[in-house]
Amino acid sequence: MAYFGNNPQRGELQELYADLNDLNFEKKKEAVKKVIAYMTVGKDVSELFQSVIKCLEFNDIEMKKLIYLYIVNYSRQKPDDAIMVIQNFRKDVRKSENPLVRALAIRTFGCLRVPKLNEYLIEPLKDCIQDDDPYVRKTAVLCVPKVFEVSPDICPALLEQLQKLLEKESNALVLANLIQSMREIEVVSGKQLINLNQKIIQKLLLAVDECIEWGQIFILDYLATHNPQDSKQAEIIIERTLPRLSHINPTVTFCAVKVILKYLDFLDNGELVKNLCKKVAPSLISLLSWNQPEVQYTILRNISLILQKFPILFENEVKVFFCSFNEPYYIKYEKLDIMVRICDSKNFGQVLNELLIYLNEADPHFVRKTIKSIGKIAITYDKALEKAVSILVEFAKNVQQPTEPVQELLMQMQLIYKKSKQMYKYDESLKIIYSIVDYANEPESKSACAWILGEFGEYIPKSVEKMKEYIDNFQMEDRLVQLQLLTSAVQLYLKYPSQCATIIQQLITSAKDSFNPDVRDRTYIYWRLLSTDPEVVKNLVCFNSGVVSNFSKDLRLWETQDLVLALENMGSISNLFHKLPHQLYKNIKIKINNQHDVKIYKGEEKPDTQPQPQAQNQQDGSNQNNKKDQQQQQDIDLLSFDEPPSNININNNNNNKTDVFELI
Amino acid sequence: MISSIVFINHKGEILIYRVYKDDITRSETTQFCAKIVATKENKECPIINIDGTSFIHITIKDIVVLATTKVNVNVAMTLQFLYQLVKVCRAYFGGEFDENCIKKHFVLIYEILDEVMDYGVPQIADADLLKKYIQEGGLKPELMNDVEKLKQLTSQATGATSWRPPNLVYRKNEVYLDVIESVNVLMSVKGTILKADVAGSIQVKCLLSGMPECKFGMNDKLLMQREPRKPGQTTTDKGITIDDLKFHQCVKLPKFDKERAITFIPPDGQFELMTYRITENINLPFKIMPVYNELGKNKLEIRVKIKSIFEKNLFATNLAIKIPVPKNTANVSTNSAIGKAKHEPDQQGVIWRIKKYPGDFEALLRCEIDLGQTTNQQPWIKPPISMEFQVPMFTASGLRVRFLRIYEKAGYKPTKWIRYITKAGEYLHRL
Repeated sequence: MAYFGNNPQRGELQELYADLNDLNFEKKKEAVKKVIAYMTVGKDVSELFQSVIKCLEFNDIEMKKLIYLYIVNYSRQKPDDAIMVIQNFRKDVRKSENPLVRALAIRTFGCLRVPKLNEYLIEPLKDCIQDDDPYVRKTAVLCVPKVFEVSPDICPALLEQLQKLLEKESNALVLANLIQSMREIEVVSGKQLINLNQKIIQKLLLAVDECIEWGQIFILDYLATHNPQDSKQAEIIIERTLPRLSHINPTVTFCAVKVILKYLDFLDNGELVKNLCKKVAPSLISLLSWNQPEVQYTILRNISLILQKFPILFENEVKVFFCSFNEPYYIKYEKLDIMVRICDSKNFGQVLNELLIYLNEADPHFVRKTIKSIGKIAITYDKALEKAVSILVEFAKNVQQPTEPVQELLMQMQLIYKKSKQMYKYDESLKIIYSIVDYANEPESKSACAWILGEFGEYIPKSVEKMKEYIDNFQMEDRLVQLQLLTSAVQLYLKYPSQCATIIQQLITSAKDSFNPDVRDRTYIYWRLLSTDPEVVKNLVCFNSGVVSNFSKDLRLWETQDLVLALENMGSISNLFHKLPHQLYKNIKIKINNQHDVKIYKGEEKPDTQPQPQAQNQQDGSNQNNKKDQQQQQDIDLLSFDEPPSNININNNNNNKTDVFELI
Repeated sequence: MISSIVFINHKGEILIYRVYKDDITRSETTQFCAKIVATKENKECPIINIDGTSFIHITIKDIVVLATTKVNVNVAMTLQFLYQLVKVCRAYFGGEFDENCIKKHFVLIYEILDEVMDYGVPQIADADLLKKYIQEGGLKPELMNDVEKLKQLTSQATGATSWRPPNLVYRKNEVYLDVIESVNVLMSVKGTILKADVAGSIQVKCLLSGMPECKFGMNDKLLMQREPRKPGQTTTDKGITIDDLKFHQCVKLPKFDKERAITFIPPDGQFELMTYRITENINLPFKIMPVYNELGKNKLEIRVKIKSIFEKNLFATNLAIKIPVPKNTANVSTNSAIGKAKHEPDQQGVIWRIKKYPGDFEALLRCEIDLGQTTNQQPWIKPPISMEFQVPMFTASGLRVRFLRIYEKAGYKPTKWIRYITKAGEYLHRL
């Protein structure tokens, strides 16, 4: 039998038509299979609709299933023909003693999705929801949202029936499907359908124990969206969910973790909370080493959220996130990201030692990200500065090509020097970093080099010549580099006024007519200032020495007030993209968090001089609105080159500079 | 929930296409095939969003198994479902899962897809159970007309013990237990242990009649602390600390949570009763001690000493130690007293194989590597040394099965067999 033929030619359709109408049963069946094969590869075989449905006369279940598949696929194109099968469905649903056939019929019936056919469906569907056989009931229950989506106006009676069923149903599988189907309807209609009371919660918790794995997931997922009345109820739900942590299906475990973490907020008993955290942590860590990388990935993408709200869970567990050599890179990237977030003033040494190994990896993107991570750690934790710098310097020693990691290296070194200018002395870092500036080929890294040249001009041999080299190519450079070159050249001029007089003139001449207004403006500002009051320029462009505190970047991913909502959606697509559902899906209503204080669960507090990023997090509900601004402010600080003015002490004698500018 | 399930081959051609919700068009899927599967771009990442449609997929050999959706589904569940689906297919195709199989059995696959998912919501997807009512070529007419049997079948499928059919009979009642441990270890260049854990699994083959209730016990520290001490008995075995346990669906989890007792009604035949993870007090069966020397510009020397750290009366089998060598390796001369070592260019390494290796024993391999000329100036990125082995009758975690009690109303006495084996998982030493 030809499975993947080409386009069904006119002749082929004729042939199929003939075979479908053949008296020989086997021939008919083969023809039906062929039709399905054509359908799979995307060829249009809707013309054969009538001939295919005629084959339903035979009581062969395999063929029946194929024909149903065909009908579902084409019913909307051929609604008038589809009406002819209605009788067949109704007969199957009502008369068949075989529960499999009844379920199959109702399942397929629901998929026709033609409004005018749905009217015929309501009565049989009502019967099926009350069927004696749970297999038929679990199928019928899922049929309701199918109908509701197409013709909601004919459904009120069905919805009522579902609500009644929720009260009395005892089969776990049917209950799980029922919850799922009612949730689907809630999403479509935007109205609440499930009235969760104590009795139903009890029932659902019982069903979790007896149900197949998927059903457990539906129920747990649903419970995670619910807010308990009081501490007592929260405690009961947590207690009944705990056993799921030992389920072999990682998603069941993960959903159980979600439910437990969500309800922790409602517990009064602090001791209990601590114990629960101890129970959840090992399960979660097992999931991280799950042998299906795709599943591992989804868990990893949710870790930053857990880390932010429950830092206690991963205390002393940084090793869990170390990368294995053979792991796929998409996993390694996630782990790297988490390692930076989990890093604190105690474990940074361990983290940096591990990152050092990754610098040997083959993938340049990964090495680049590693360098960036090292830079982030250095900037966030004062104590980590020296170690980070020596790692980066060691890496710089082996640089022979303008690779991607080298660009990142230069950029990170710039940030490190900005944070602590004194680091230039450490490990001869300036000398070694300066030796690789010629490998810079991205605007950001070039501008970092220009910055280094201006800032450390007095420590770099022949810095003026180098600057001249840059200025000769000024017109070719990116705007970012041009802007930095302007500032750096002025800095250098303040240090070596006589040697730089000519190049500053050259620079101003070529920059003042730039097409870019930013470059032009900056040129004029410097020009004017230099010709009026050079002391002001000094305050503007020169950078103080010593460690700049508050230079750290905010490593928190989520807004604190979003944490609760994000937690409810743990495991979903939106969380995987680190977004809230309504940010990713337009049809989802914005859910407002009513809890004003978001609880953060930390381990034992030890006196520590270095504030951890998470530490600022607790109970800052009041200044929520400022946080975003602050963060933006910090981002700007990292990007801009004009540092806050401070007591600058440059030893060079700048007395004779004004006359240069009178010449221009 | 899920809008469609699609099987795609490595060229990006659709092999199976089953739609559950019509919020998705075929062209959106073909777009994914053309953009992602055929170009192999970004394919690694298991979830990709294109214009509001999420494509969640796994890759099994050459076949991409894809679920599409437009709503905020639980991704972990979707991925798990795809894996389960492949598992079901394999169970039907005798373990195979490739393009030929899929083409040959496409009718059956559509039947399976119809059953395991309804309106995008995962349903019963247990292969043993499905086989009872979905068979290639259709069910036997006898079953189709036997209403009693059918009722029994549906009540099993929807019941609380869906994994075990009633009324099984074995003439000889037997249970086989296999404790399989994989040791994962990562040692630094200096030989300090960066990471070590044991991933264990207990496999059971169960040939028992009726509805047996089983109780299973190990030397789990937490369990042994709960047990009352028998008078006059002084045990030195305090048990081991198990970080985490995960159980087959048959195990009564609430009971485990309360009493730490493992009780279950087993499925028939082979199944994985539990997996566990241990990080404390691991007995690493092997120590690796490499020395790396550069003898001039075109010559390297790597010496690797291994030492077995388990009792003398035990043996390890099928050792394979992979020592990485640079790409431009021209010639390798090896020297060892035991086993065979050979440069295997396709593996980019020297593989040192030893059939049988005694306990408490040291062996040394010396490799001299001549490098050919190369235009590539990049320094060699040294992958870690890796090792494979099996040690029968040894557990790296020290786990022991203490009892397996079986209660069945017929009161038979089953025969019980048990085996232990420790294997290398990711056994790595950085060079």
